[in-house]
Amino acid sequence: MRIVSAADLEKVSRSGLRKIRPEKPRIAVGLATCGIAVGGMRVYDRIREIIGEQNPDIELARVGCIGYCREEPLVNITIPGKPLVILHRVTPGDAEKIVRAVEKGEVPVEKALCRIPSWDHITGYTQEYGAGFDGIPRYGDVPFFSHQKKVILRNSGLINPEQIDEYIAIGGYAAALKALSGMAPEAIIGEVEKSGLRGRGGAGFPTGLKWRIARNAEGDRKFVICNADEGDPGAYMNRNEMESDPHMVLEGMLIGAYAIGASEGLIYIRAEYPLAIRRLETAIGQAREYGLLGKDIFGTGFSFDIGIATGAGAFVCGESTALVASIEGRTGRPHPRPPRLTDPGGGLFGCPTDLNNVESWCNIPVIISKGSEWYAGIGAKGNSGTKVFSLVGKVDRVGLVEVPLGTSLNTIVFTIGNGGAGNKKVKAVQTGGPSGGCIPARLFDTPVDYESLNRVGSIMGSGGIVVMDEDTDMVDIARYFINFAASESCGKCVPCREGLKHTLLILNKILAKKATKRDLEILTDLTETIVATSLCGLGQTAPNPVLTTLAYFRDEYDALVNP
Amino acid sequence: MIQQKIPGKPVTVTINGKKYRANEGEILLSVAIREKIEIPHLCFEASLDPYGACRLCMVEVVRKGKREMATSCTLRAADGLEVLTDTPEIEKHRSILFELYLAEAPKSDVIRDMAAHYGVTRTRFLKRIEQGDPLGNKCVLCGLCVRACSEIMGAGAINFINRGPYTVVNTPYYAPSRDCFGCGACVRVCPTNAIEMEDVGADRVMKSWSDTRVPLSQCECCGRYYAPRELSASVLARLDTPLKEEIARLCPECRGKQLAQNEILAGRGGRATHG
Ligand SMILES: Cc1cc2nc3c(=O)[nH]c(=O)nc-3n(C[C@H](O)[C@H](O)[C@H](O)COP(=O)(O)O)c2cc1C
Ligand code: SF4
Ligand code: FES
Repeated sequence: MRIVSAADLEKVSRSGLRKIRPEKPRIAVGLATCGIAVGGMRVYDRIREIIGEQNPDIELARVGCIGYCREEPLVNITIPGKPLVILHRVTPGDAEKIVRAVEKGEVPVEKALCRIPSWDHITGYTQEYGAGFDGIPRYGDVPFFSHQKKVILRNSGLINPEQIDEYIAIGGYAAALKALSGMAPEAIIGEVEKSGLRGRGGAGFPTGLKWRIARNAEGDRKFVICNADEGDPGAYMNRNEMESDPHMVLEGMLIGAYAIGASEGLIYIRAEYPLAIRRLETAIGQAREYGLLGKDIFGTGFSFDIGIATGAGAFVCGESTALVASIEGRTGRPHPRPPRLTDPGGGLFGCPTDLNNVESWCNIPVIISKGSEWYAGIGAKGNSGTKVFSLVGKVDRVGLVEVPLGTSLNTIVFTIGNGGAGNKKVKAVQTGGPSGGCIPARLFDTPVDYESLNRVGSIMGSGGIVVMDEDTDMVDIARYFINFAASESCGKCVPCREGLKHTLLILNKILAKKATKRDLEILTDLTETIVATSLCGLGQTAPNPVLTTLAYFRDEYDALVNP
Repeated sequence: MIQQKIPGKPVTVTINGKKYRANEGEILLSVAIREKIEIPHLCFEASLDPYGACRLCMVEVVRKGKREMATSCTLRAADGLEVLTDTPEIEKHRSILFELYLAEAPKSDVIRDMAAHYGVTRTRFLKRIEQGDPLGNKCVLCGLCVRACSEIMGAGAINFINRGPYTVVNTPYYAPSRDCFGCGACVRVCPTNAIEMEDVGADRVMKSWSDTRVPLSQCECCGRYYAPRELSASVLARLDTPLKEEIARLCPECRGKQLAQNEILAGRGGRATHG
């Protein structure tokens, strides 16, 4: 079937709704990579076995992840007319009990994390599950969730990512229909500009402006690319977005391509994400079947398709010019900009190219469906919208956290994350991946937005937040990240290639207690030069962990060096 | 895939407070070289795409009262462009870069002299000395040889191996190259004279490139080995000149002699050959 109208979407939507909220009970297991890693698949298999043997009238489904990694494996129960209930820390041993309860229209209360009576999927649909199960805490009362705002993760963990009908059921592809059949490209770009959306890949470049430049660039052939290289240690927001809700990425790209005037799209994804690749491939196949990708989409005459390019595992290939080189089959080494990708001659195969991060694309359907004003109302001035962070390290509640930009580190680390794991005192966080800075706990009232993070010596990056506690040795942390950056340096320019190597050697010397005060001076001089003279973002930001630990934890260095 | 901009309209750029004429889009470092303004550089070659790897050519661009560092080999001339080449900021970073180079290529006289010229005579960093380094501990990975080999010669016989601090240049798997023409373009572009090449008997030996051997043509007249055989053959195939036959058989010296002889013969009404 080809979808060409709102009526067609509505028809598919009804079939999808029957899957999300079937007439019989549904058990859905959280099976993103995070859930699988802690045994989600075994839980799923065991439940399937039991259902297969006893044949009760129960649906079994797979969903993505709602983000509370510490509590996984997570299982959702939907009993018709009742709230959706999330069970946590489920083991295969619990399967029998779960099926028994669900058969009777109940849930094993002792395994319940929370209940969701209704859920706003943001893109035009609020799911009313029902009332009851009053003894189970409401979703909004769970401290991990209560300060979050789910805009990007609007469907994650609630719909089956391998079923396009479920995505359409909660309003999916309606924004694309609205954009392609009712809006001029200029108007779409205008909306994205007014929304204030800034690129979620790290640098925070205004997305609407980038689209405008790409649209105005001369060239008959243009590309849009989704950057899914996500190589920061500890960061997995993009992975979850693709695994849990791949269609929102595709829909965002479809709208962007139409606005820019590109007919070819590519998702550049690291090969280490096999499940995300598989789900994206499935999603692309399903979208093509409905005519949502391919020729003459919605009968508008606009054609667009998306391919997948896998990366060979180099962190630097996430950098725009290296990424393009890698897709073209050349070595993934950055080149100086300009030319930028949007410049004639600078993009993929020399064609003007718009590159955006996975999460940037995820925001687009929301902006089109809710309008720029609604979107701009979230977050802080100049930093609108929400951002997903992976809150990891020595924090009590590990997981994916989505909050409005401008939320303080205090809220993220203490209110949502409940402070240090094992009641340890939190000492610092590192934001922005390997090249972010370490921010001490006394500065945790810093709002998490692009500018404020820069002011304290760190960066937004792609959204990793690594928590460190009183036992963490900050000099060793600096060494860890420098070691990562040095080995991921592409080796093209001297400050990064040689400079980081010597930074590492000096840090080793300090940690071996063989350094003197003079080495600290050399360290400062050297890292400043690396920042100022490196060719690409990798070298320019790699010294941040050293610079910030030197600034905020100088005593730890001093304690290690001889006079 | 970088497009070389076609030189545009004349513009005026300011370097260290003095005004100079340039073509719009022209590389600023080229302007400086033409005007004899000293900017150190190691990875720039006008006939190759801008590369920006050695970072020595950094200058400060003055824009709206603010200063920003940029590599002059990637900076394009535009009307009103204003740069400073020797600010304290530049000098500070340049010194550190020279220290890094001194540690990376401790055996290179060129680097030593260049650094000394800018007042850097020692390095605080650990020197890298590798026994048996095919490039004699002189390589600074500017990439000129790799780029000349692929961009100009189209051979692609050498490339970077590994990444980060382990990066080196050589033939794939350190095996003698079958793609090398023995043209020696790499030797000529290398700013630190790191690449060793020697003609031994009937072969040209690219000592730095895994001892790749390339057979030479022998002059029919004097018996000397002169140009790489396959390279001359492929160049000749593209040439259309009556001299073709002589070039294929004779070394440049003997060819000169023969040409002179012909001229004399022509003067006497004999055979004349003109290219
Ligand atoms: C070393 C390095 C690695 C990067 N890795 C990524 C990445 O994994 N994902 C990403 O979206 N952007 C990455 N970026 C940023 C991209 O170059 C680019 O700015 C971004 O994809 C643009 O998308 P946006 O405007 O939507 O943020 C990286 C940059 C550098 C310098
Ligand atoms: S800064 Fe590092 S990663 Fe970037 S081009 Fe230079 S060597 Fe390569
Ligand atoms: S000459 Fe400009 S970076 Fe090397």
